[in-house]
Amino acid sequence: MLLFRSEEHVETWCRSRSLPIGGTLSLKQASELAWIWFRDRLEASWKRKTIEEAESIFESLELKGDFWKLRR
Amino acid sequence: MQTGIELSGEVRLHVMRQVIETGRVPKAAETALALGKPSDEIRQAHQQLAEAHVFVLEPGGFELRMASPFSAIPTPFEVTIGERRWWGNCIWDAMGIAAVLKTEARISTRCPDCAHPLSLTVDGPAVSGDPGIVHFAVPAAQWWDDIIYT
Repeated sequence: MLLFRSEEHVETWCRSRSLPIGGTLSLKQASELAWIWFRDRLEASWKRKTIEEAESIFESLELKGDFWKLRR
Repeated sequence: MQTGIELSGEVRLHVMRQVIETGRVPKAAETALALGKPSDEIRQAHQQLAEAHVFVLEPGGFELRMASPFSAIPTPFEVTIGERRWWGNCIWDAMGIAAVLKTEARISTRCPDCAHPLSLTVDGPAVSGDPGIVHFAVPAAQWWDDIIYT
C-alpha cells in the first residue's frame, strides 16, 4: 500500500510495471481505515478481525467491489 | 500452566510495547529474557503469531520482520512524534502507528512514481498535509499470499 501524489502518478507507476490499477483510497478513507483497524492493538483482549468484520469495515468506508472481498 | 495462545498474546503485547518504547522490534532472545521464558518458546510464539497473520517473520527465520503496524527494518514510511521515530510497513501501517499511539504523528514518504517527498499529519482518524492518494496493488483476498510484497 503506497502513497502517490495523484491518480495520474498511480496510473504512470502501474503502466511502467505492466500492473493493472488496483484499489485506490482517498487520504480520508485511508486514515479512517487505519484508525478503525489499529486503534485497539494495545488492548490485551485484541483479536484479529474476522473476514466478516473486515469486509463490513471496508463497506462502511465505501470500499466496495470484488477488489475488497476477502473470500476468493 | 500457560497455554501457547496465552503466551502468544503476552509476546504480542510485549513486542508492541517494546517497539513503542524503544523504536525497535525486539529479537526473540530479548523477549525471552524480558518475559523469563526459554527462547524456543518465544520462537514458537512468533511462529504462531505469524500463522495467525498477526505478525510476519523474516523469510526463513523466527525473528520478526513486521510487528504490524511496525516494521523491524527501515522502510519508506517514516513515522515521527517529536524526536521519536518508527517505521511502518506501508502507508496504511504508518497511519496505523498513529492510531496505536493515539497521538498526532507525522508521516514522511515519497511518491513511488516520481520520488516527490510527501508529508502527512495524522491525528486519530483525521489526516492533513500534502495531497495524495493511497493505492493497493493487490486485491484484498490475496494480501497474505505474499504479505511482504503486499
